[in-house]
Amino acid sequence: MAQAPKEFSVVGKRIPRIDAYERVTGQAQYTGDIQLAGMLYARVLRSPHPHAKILGIDTSKAEKLAGVKAVIHHLNAQIPWASGGRTHRRFIFNNPVRFVGDAVAAVAAIDRNIAEEALGLIEVKYEKIPHVLDPNAALKPDAPKISTDGNLSVGTGNFSAPIEDSWGNLEAGFKEADRIFEDTYITKHVNNAQLERRVTVAKWDSGKLTVFASTQGVSNARTDIARDFSLPLSKVRVISKYMGGGFGNKNQAQDYDYMAVVLARVCNQPVKLEFTREDDYIGMHGRWSSEQHYKIGVKKDGTVTAVQLDAVTNIGAYRKQSGNLSGTDFYQIPNFKKVIRPVHTNTVVGANYRAPAYPQAVFGYASFLDQIAFELGINPLDMFTRNRIEKYKNKTPFTSNYLEECVVEGAKRIAWKDKWHAPGAVAGSKKHGIGMALGGYPYRPGLGAATIRVNPDGSAHLLVGVTDIGTGAKSTMAIIAAEALGIPLNQIQVTNGDTDVTPYSVGESGSRTTPFTGPAVIAAAEDVRKQIFAIAAGSLKTKPEELELRNGEVFVKSDAKQRMPLGRAIARSGDLIGRATTNPSFKGAEGKSFAAHFAEVEVDTWTGHVNITRYVAVHDSGTIINRIPAESQIKGGVVQGIGMAFTEELITDSLTATPINPNYRDAKVPTHLESPEVEVIFIEHPDPYGPFGGKVVGEPPITPAVATIANAIFNATGKRFKVLPITPDKILQALQV
Amino acid sequence: MEEEKKAKGVSRRDFLKGIGGGTIGTAVVSTGLIRGEEAEAYTREAVGTGRRKAVVNLKVNGKNYRVEVEHRNTLAEVLRDQLGLTGTKIGCDRGECGACTVIINGRNLYACSQLAIWMAGKEIQTIEGLAKGDKLDPVQEAFIEHDGPQCGFCTSGQIMSGKALLLRNAKPTEAQVRRGLSGNLCRCGNYNREVEAVLAAASKSR
Repeated sequence: MAQAPKEFSVVGKRIPRIDAYERVTGQAQYTGDIQLAGMLYARVLRSPHPHAKILGIDTSKAEKLAGVKAVIHHLNAQIPWASGGRTHRRFIFNNPVRFVGDAVAAVAAIDRNIAEEALGLIEVKYEKIPHVLDPNAALKPDAPKISTDGNLSVGTGNFSAPIEDSWGNLEAGFKEADRIFEDTYITKHVNNAQLERRVTVAKWDSGKLTVFASTQGVSNARTDIARDFSLPLSKVRVISKYMGGGFGNKNQAQDYDYMAVVLARVCNQPVKLEFTREDDYIGMHGRWSSEQHYKIGVKKDGTVTAVQLDAVTNIGAYRKQSGNLSGTDFYQIPNFKKVIRPVHTNTVVGANYRAPAYPQAVFGYASFLDQIAFELGINPLDMFTRNRIEKYKNKTPFTSNYLEECVVEGAKRIAWKDKWHAPGAVAGSKKHGIGMALGGYPYRPGLGAATIRVNPDGSAHLLVGVTDIGTGAKSTMAIIAAEALGIPLNQIQVTNGDTDVTPYSVGESGSRTTPFTGPAVIAAAEDVRKQIFAIAAGSLKTKPEELELRNGEVFVKSDAKQRMPLGRAIARSGDLIGRATTNPSFKGAEGKSFAAHFAEVEVDTWTGHVNITRYVAVHDSGTIINRIPAESQIKGGVVQGIGMAFTEELITDSLTATPINPNYRDAKVPTHLESPEVEVIFIEHPDPYGPFGGKVVGEPPITPAVATIANAIFNATGKRFKVLPITPDKILQALQV
Repeated sequence: MEEEKKAKGVSRRDFLKGIGGGTIGTAVVSTGLIRGEEAEAYTREAVGTGRRKAVVNLKVNGKNYRVEVEHRNTLAEVLRDQLGLTGTKIGCDRGECGACTVIINGRNLYACSQLAIWMAGKEIQTIEGLAKGDKLDPVQEAFIEHDGPQCGFCTSGQIMSGKALLLRNAKPTEAQVRRGLSGNLCRCGNYNREVEAVLAAASKSR
C-alpha cells in the first residue's frame, strides 16, 4: 500500500473519534433527548389519498381533547417551504395533497400520546382527484397534473425540461463501433432509513427563534428558516450537536422544522415534533427510482466508442433535488449523450440519499458493461480496466486519479485471475461468483470558515459550523487543526454545529465537509500561528519567521534547543484568535475520489439466497486524515449498497397508492447477519488541492457496491438481473428459465 | 399551486406580525422522579384505559425509583422522559431496530416493547449504568477503540446487547456475536466494527 510521503504528527494515524466517549456512555445529547421547561409534543397528520382536494378541515373535536394546545393546517399556517432547492416551492401543508403521506395538519399537546390521539379526531373532507403512480404514465399528455408546471420536473432553468449532457459526436461514435448494444436497467425507491427518526425542538424567546434541528447542515437550515419566515439570520439559531444519521435526507431545514416553529409561536411554548418510523419512511424522501435505457457502441476489444442514456427517474410529488443519473462518471466515454427526465408522480418524494445520482446509475452502466464483456468474450477485469475514466467528459484532467491503481490492487487482493471463471460455469447447487465495478464521487472545493481561539495556557478551541452525522467530521476537523497548529489533539476542544457560535459551514452533504471546511481550518491555524510567533519572538529573542510550533512547544527552527511551552510563550497575551474564510478552486481540473470494488458470492440455487463471502473495497481518497472512521465509512457505504442490491424497496400498492412496507421489518435493511467483513484498502497519494492531500470518503463507497454484487451474481449464475432489488424469488425464477 | 394562494387564512407575514413575543423559559427540566401536577388534568370522559395511571417501583442501574406512569407508557418512554436516562434511544418504537435495548433481569430486551407497569420488581440496566464510577465497561472501552459508533444512535443498544451476550457467554465466537447483536440495526452499516468491539471486549475480560 502506498503511504503518504509527508510525515504527519496526527493526520493519518489510527485515532479514535474525539467524541466516542460521549457516544458510548449515553451522554451524547441528540435532538430528541432535549427537554425544555413547558415543552409540548407534536405529531403530524398525513393524507390517506394519493391526490385529493381538501374541501374542509374540522379540528373542533381534536381541540376539545384535554391536553391539546394547537392544531395547524393549510388554512391557518400557510408557510412556504423550499428546502433543497430554490425552484418549485411548496407549502408545509398543501392543498391539494399529492401523495399518501403528504402532511395535512400538525397537533401540539402536553404529551405525545395525546397529540397522536388528537390526530384521529381531526375530520378532513377530501375530494379525490385522478392520480398517477408510474413515471412513464405521468409523462403522457392526458396524465393527471401533479404540478402546475407539468409532470416533467422543473430543472435548474426553472422550467420543465429534461437534464441533458453531451460531448463528442454520438453518431460518429456509433459508426466507429463494431457492435452496438441496447438494454434497460431499473432501480427502485430506497429509504435512507437512518436510525434517528426525524425530530425537532423549536422555541421562541421574544423575537428570537432557536431550533434544535436534527440537520446535516446548521447554516443552510438557518438560511431556509430565515428566508421562509422573513427573519434576519441573526434572529434564527440552529443547533445540531449530535445527529443520528441522515444520509442525505436531513440536510437543510425541512417542513417538520417549520411546523414546530409555527406551533411554538402559536402556543408560546417550546415544541418538540417527533416523527414515527412510518412518518419517516413516507413523509420525507428516499432515493429516486430510475428506468435507464442505454445504447452502447463498442469495438471488438471492448473499447467503448459511444454511450446514449435515456432515462426516467421518479422524484415523487414534490421536487427537492435533481433526479439526475451520473453513474457513467467513472468510465471513459469519447462520445456521450444523456437525457434524464425527472418526473412527478403521486408517490413519496424521491430525493437525496448518499451519493444521490450514483449507485442506481453505476448499477445500470457497470452491469451493462459486464454483460457486454460477456457477449464479446472479454474478461470483466480487462473490460473495466480498459474503460476506466481518465479525463472528465473526455477532456478535463483530474486533480488526482489513481483509479487504475485501485483496480490493480483490488484484483490482486481478491485473486481475480484465479477466482474468475466463465459465468454460470460452477457445478453444484451452491455457485461461486466474482464481480467488480468502478465508482467514486465528485470532490469539489468551496466556501469554508473556521475560528481558532488559542488560550493563554496553550490549549485551543476550534469553532466550526460542521455537523457530525456519523462521518467523524468533528474529529477530522480537530485532527486538521492539531496538525496545522502544532498543538496536541487532546488540547483541542471542538465546538460545532451552532449558528450563534460557529462560523459558516456548507453542511454535511455532498462529501463537502473536508474539502470545504478543512482548508479554512488550516488557514485559521496559520493566522493564529503568526500571532503566536510575533509574541514568542520576544521571549526567544529571535524573529517571528525563525519560529516553529510543534507538539505544543515553540522553538527556533535553526536551534531547536531554544524552546518553550506554548503556554509559557503566550501566558500574558490573552486569547489569540485566528480566523479564516476560504474559497479555493481547482484550476483547469476536476476533482473526484475513485473506487474499485470486488466481491465474491455464493448463490444457493435451491433457496435463491446470496451469501457474500468476500468483499474488497479499494479507494483513492487522497491522504486519509482520520483513518479509523474513514475505514468505517467505507464499510458502511458497502452495507447500504448490499441493502439496495438485495432487499430494499419501498413498495407502493398500485390499487391504493399506499406504501405498504414503511418500516424496518418490511423494507428490510441489512442486519448483522447479512453484512460481510468488508476489507478496506486506501491507495494513498496526496491530492494537490485537498487539506493535507485529502479528498473525500463519505459518499464514494456506496456507488460501485450494488453493481459489484450484481456482477458477482451474474458470474455465479450466468443470469443478468436488470431490476433491483435482486431478491431470492427473482433469482429462483431466472434459474428455472 | 394556485389553490394554495387562494386559501383563506393568515399568510406567513400576518402570522409573524400577529403574535406578540412572549418569553419562554429555557432552563432544562430537571427530570424529577414524579412529574409535577400536569398543567391540565384530564377530563373524565377523555380517560381511556391507556391513560389510567399507576405508581410503579422501578429499579434502574441499582437505584430505586417510584414513578407515576400511564398504563400505555413504555419503559423506553419512562426511562427517557421521566428518569432523564436518554442514553436509551427510540429508533422505531415498534420492536424492530433495537436502539432502545436495555438489560432486564440479565436479558437484552427492547424497552419500547415493554410497558413500564410490567417492570415492578425487575432489575433494569441501561447504558448509563454500565460504567463503574469512572471505569467504563470493557464493552464500552472496546466500542471506543474499535470505532463502534458512527452516528452513534444505535450504539447504546448494540453495547447493551453485546453486554448481555457476554453475561451469558463470556467467550463467544464471531458467529455468536453476530447473532447476539442481530436484533440491533445499524443503518451506518458499521456492523464489522460492532462485532469487532464485542469480540475484543470478550478477549479483554478473560
